[in-house]
Amino acid sequence: MPNKIVHESGNLHVTGKAVYIDDINTPSNTLHGFIVTSPIAKGILKSFDLSDALETPGVHAILSYKDIPGQNQMGTIVHDEVILVEKDIEFIGQGLFIIAADNEHCALNAKAKIKMEIEELEPVISLEDSMKLGLKLHDTIVMESGNINTEFAKCDHIIEAQIENGGQEHWYLETQVSLAIPGEYDEIKIYSSTQHPSETQALIAEALHVGKHAVVVETRRLGGAFGGKETQANNVAIWASLLANKTQKPVKIRLFRDEDQKITGKRHPFLINYKIGFNNDGIIKAYFVDFNANAGYSSDLSMAILARARTHAENAYFIPNIRIESTAWKTNIPSNTAFRGFGGPQGIYAIEDAMERVALKLGKEPAEIKYKNFYKHDINNTTPYGEIVENNRIYTIWDKIIEDSDYYSRKKKINEFNKNNEFKKRGIALTPVKFGISFNTPFLNQAGSLVNIYTDGTVLVNHGGIEMGQGLHTKIGQIVADEFGISLNKVKVNATITSTVPNTSATAASSGTDMNGMAAKNAADKLIARFKEFLTKHWSANTYKCQPENIIFKDNKVIDLGNDLNNIEFTEAVNLLYLDRISLSAQGFYKTPNLYFNNETQKGRPFHYFVWGISISEVELDILTGRHKILRTDILHDTGHSFNENIDIGQIEGAFIQGVGWCTSEEMKWDKKGNLLNHSPDTYKIPGIRDIPEIFNVELLKNAPNPNTIKQSKAVGEPPFIHGLSVFFAIKHATAAVNDHKKYPNLNIPATHEKIILAIDELKNNK
Amino acid sequence: MNSTRNYIEFVLDNKIQKIEWNGTHQLSPTTTLLQYLRSLENHKGTKEGCGEGDCGACTVVVAELENEKLVYKAVNSCLIFLPQVHGKQIITVENLAKENTLHPIQSAMVELDASQCGFCTPGFAMSMFALYKASGVTNESEILDAFAGNLCRCTGYKSILNAAHKALGSKTKDQFSEIENDIKQKLRNIQHKNGLFTTELQQYYAPKSLTEALTIKKNNNKITVIGGASDVALRVTKKKEIIPQILDLSHISELNFINKTSQGFEIGSATTLQQLKEAVKSDLPAFDNILSVFGSKQIRQVATLGGNIGSASPIGDTLPLLMAYKAIVTVKNLSEEREFPLTEFITGYRQTQLKEDELITKIFIPIPDSSVHIDIQKISKRVDLDISTVCGVLRLELESDNTIKNINLYYGGMSAVTKGAENTEKFLLSKKWSKETLTEAMPFIEKDFTPIADARSEAEGRMIFAKNLLLKFWENFQK
Ligand SMILES: Cc1cc2nc3c(=O)[nH]c(=O)nc-3n(C[C@H](O)[C@H](O)[C@H](O)COP(=O)(O)OP(=O)(O)OC[C@H]3O[C@@H](n4cnc5c(N)ncnc54)[C@H](O)[C@@H]3O)c2cc1C
Ligand code: FES
Ligand code: FES
Repeated sequence: MPNKIVHESGNLHVTGKAVYIDDINTPSNTLHGFIVTSPIAKGILKSFDLSDALETPGVHAILSYKDIPGQNQMGTIVHDEVILVEKDIEFIGQGLFIIAADNEHCALNAKAKIKMEIEELEPVISLEDSMKLGLKLHDTIVMESGNINTEFAKCDHIIEAQIENGGQEHWYLETQVSLAIPGEYDEIKIYSSTQHPSETQALIAEALHVGKHAVVVETRRLGGAFGGKETQANNVAIWASLLANKTQKPVKIRLFRDEDQKITGKRHPFLINYKIGFNNDGIIKAYFVDFNANAGYSSDLSMAILARARTHAENAYFIPNIRIESTAWKTNIPSNTAFRGFGGPQGIYAIEDAMERVALKLGKEPAEIKYKNFYKHDINNTTPYGEIVENNRIYTIWDKIIEDSDYYSRKKKINEFNKNNEFKKRGIALTPVKFGISFNTPFLNQAGSLVNIYTDGTVLVNHGGIEMGQGLHTKIGQIVADEFGISLNKVKVNATITSTVPNTSATAASSGTDMNGMAAKNAADKLIARFKEFLTKHWSANTYKCQPENIIFKDNKVIDLGNDLNNIEFTEAVNLLYLDRISLSAQGFYKTPNLYFNNETQKGRPFHYFVWGISISEVELDILTGRHKILRTDILHDTGHSFNENIDIGQIEGAFIQGVGWCTSEEMKWDKKGNLLNHSPDTYKIPGIRDIPEIFNVELLKNAPNPNTIKQSKAVGEPPFIHGLSVFFAIKHATAAVNDHKKYPNLNIPATHEKIILAIDELKNNK
Repeated sequence: MNSTRNYIEFVLDNKIQKIEWNGTHQLSPTTTLLQYLRSLENHKGTKEGCGEGDCGACTVVVAELENEKLVYKAVNSCLIFLPQVHGKQIITVENLAKENTLHPIQSAMVELDASQCGFCTPGFAMSMFALYKASGVTNESEILDAFAGNLCRCTGYKSILNAAHKALGSKTKDQFSEIENDIKQKLRNIQHKNGLFTTELQQYYAPKSLTEALTIKKNNNKITVIGGASDVALRVTKKKEIIPQILDLSHISELNFINKTSQGFEIGSATTLQQLKEAVKSDLPAFDNILSVFGSKQIRQVATLGGNIGSASPIGDTLPLLMAYKAIVTVKNLSEEREFPLTEFITGYRQTQLKEDELITKIFIPIPDSSVHIDIQKISKRVDLDISTVCGVLRLELESDNTIKNINLYYGGMSAVTKGAENTEKFLLSKKWSKETLTEAMPFIEKDFTPIADARSEAEGRMIFAKNLLLKFWENFQK
């Protein structure tokens, strides 16, 4: 690997010097912020009395909704979330009051003295119940192309099925945290674990009833986020700000793990009904799918998540007649939210399940059925939403991975193994991914930057993206260093601060590097133009005319290719500009071009491009204990022209394992009252080190530059999450082997050890 | 009193640190090591990811003198009360690099992309460092075992494993080797007297002798006893309890021993599970098996055998196995000693025969005759660091014609207490040891147990697991 570039914070991570919000040494008068949350899932807060509680020693303030100076509102798209309950209680863990105290014990003492009268009502917890009661959060949205009804009538076969998937807790290692420090006049500074500082800033300004210019949100790094800090960091930041504003002292709130798991939103559980029509040759002619999402108590990002489920309902397959219905249902649990993949995994899960059933029905190899239905290059390449699939890479990926993984001969060996083993069964599965890059909502696809060059030749880059482990700052540093032709150590990427780059979008939808990288490049380009303009004049002597296109930035130097004598250190050039009173600071901006979408017709061009990949996994299942081992996983993934291969591979490996967790061990249950039972790592199990594949090959697709993106690269964050599905379907194959593949196992996501043995029990006893 | 101390001393940053409880002190004696470290300006590298021993972000290394050797152990600082570190050296992630030179495990982690968000990284670094300091070559399974207690949500672990292989493949002397003699001397100088740490709300006793401990227990019937505190500390970190009185047995050497005789192993109640695992590996292989999937290495370094029995939890993993080995528990008060087979010692859900003035002192595990076959199977959602959904143990003796001479089946997770599957045993006795008989025996499990549904599993699932274990035992027996 030529000059491998490692994570910019790697050295700080391993020495413990990387500062996360809870590590900031706070002023000695900093107070402990504490939330009193609802113990019931639905009810009415009839009255409350805080006076005794306020007398508790060590307590500085207790606030109810009445003490909010501005709006009691923190819904981001739809205004349906209160900061503190006024009357209606909607889930266990909803904020009722907030306390600022010297320490946690004082706050707990105060909490015990709060008097309140609550009337408990019957909550709706399960998705099924919500659907039965017709509790839609918003109208059903339909995306359609072709005509399924006429086509179903003509198909050789039709399969109908109902499947479901569970939620998923983000389990970022760093729980939600915020430190709010009041300033002069109405100013306030907030260190927040947010993926979306501009939105956090806006909501705080509205809550405090001050201008956004008085609110500065700063984020250096997050200890993981995965979508869980896109909207879910807001409440903690707002609560801390309200308390800091009231007490005029710094206030920190950090959620304890159990609290975090109980009160923040998760990936949406879906209940999916589908009907698929196909012919004897395995070609899919029509597909109807109905996505029902358990949205929790409020809208949050549910409608956007359904939009992504719809636009990924067909995955990598051309389906001429398709109808996708999608509904968000209200329940009395925390509002479900963004999580890596953002509805895409659920959408793709359904069509992959359908493909597997089609293969079983026809007695064909599933991989063959999938291959036959892939989008073609020149025909059959229009998505259900009207976007043309360009630069289709699925065939290149297919050819290579099928060969590298030895898929067909391994499949034979597996069948042999299954014949000879009674209690161990193996399975192998292949799943492709096509993932659309860009926010589904066009206006969000904008980014800003501010690049400062100092007179010693060092560069400071500010941009709107958040570093949460994905290596964004490393990549942005590389982009800017390359533009100026200077060493990486001359470039620093600053903490993300709303006062340097305003009105930014969330770091989400995998687009962090695509957009902020382009914005940083745009600023650098402006500065380079200034260098060139100045140097062209500066280097043009009487007879010699320096040409701007001959000026290059390389090896920490600025060089005129037209004249050997014109060759100076970058720092010297910087000083020449400075002395000539030329600004060495520039703002950059980027908007992803050519995006549009009509919400009425559900047609348009929502995605800048697609990311492609295939994974193949083989598992071995102990059919007595339900335990599976991943024997081998191969992933071939498209990151365009990767300009940091190690970081991209790390993203793919991590996303895959996260996907495996969603598909296998990560299970969430609520009791009838709305208590989350798996509210700590004691009972909520993300993959550990012994859960990874014994053989784990991740490769990037070579020679695949992407047109019109930063350094011809592609986004990487979310798409590889989908690869985890290959493990799920491999488990399903191993399960089906119990009954010699006569029947499709009744096994949903997550396929826990328990769900697996129940499915096996059903197959064996022909239930 | 001269013979008690109201302070603790330990080495941190290569210096002796002293914390005194003299009435004015801020820290509670049940302040965890993690809370203490994070309260210091220069030790915020150690992270809290869960506060319950389940993520490893808080991992630090505790070095202690054992037979004049410094032994480095990775532990979860979130579950250790400050007085437990008296007389030991604490090494945190900030201590690894020498000025600006990274420790070999650190440079391997940086070079091989072992961190993304970095929040789990200090914990992994410390687990890796403890392995680095262990003597000899480290093999793959030891690496996996050491990291089973560390969760990472970003990397997918492969890069961390790569870094471990690189750093552990060629160990050399590091800065800690250089100062080892000096540290040993410092630790030797720390006095080991009875400890008592008192605040307005709490009394924390750390006696040195069993008699002293029994006296304290007699005088304070309601006192909370701790062995390693891996269970009790959760009351502080999760339930936010202020435990009024604590009796810490971890400094009593009389309770920390393993004696092997021709009959079996005599094990002091305060012996840690990691010590036990290493000591009984070859004689009691089933013990090694279960301890390999008991909590994590960090937990086993502090959790004691007495604590697992004292918890009397239906999902305590050593219990069904100890029952199968026909282990004897010895309890003691100031005047007498009593012995119980473990099956009789446990009387109900988290209830035992232990009287208010008694402590568990030792456990005797007979080494069974070579004709006895013992197997344990733990079923859990995740292999590592997970509590049993069901845990089953078989003790089997066959006649020469393969009929079952003696059989015991003990199950954890299937009822309020760990207990035998009597109906199933009765059915199987004197029958042929075969797949068919075991299949026929499966319905009897339903007569023995009525399991519950909880966050881990539904009742139906538990029942199928428990039945399947019969075939699993058969499958393993064939090997
Ligand atoms: C993350 C995590 C994972 C875990 N995984 C497992 C697992 O896989 N399997 C499992 O079985 N358990 C597990 N546990 C539970 C716990 O670690 C074990 O029960 C352990 O053996 C307790 O030992 P201890 O010395 O730490 O107990 P302590 O917390 O010190 O004590 C536990 C109980 O025993 C009593 N006690 C301790 N010593 C004595 C004595 N000498 N005389 C009388 N009473 C005494 C205490 O009063 C207390 O009631 C886990 C715990 C955690 C936090
Ligand atoms: S903080 Fe998670 S194990 Fe200690
Ligand atoms: S690097 Fe983020 S949790 Fe491990």
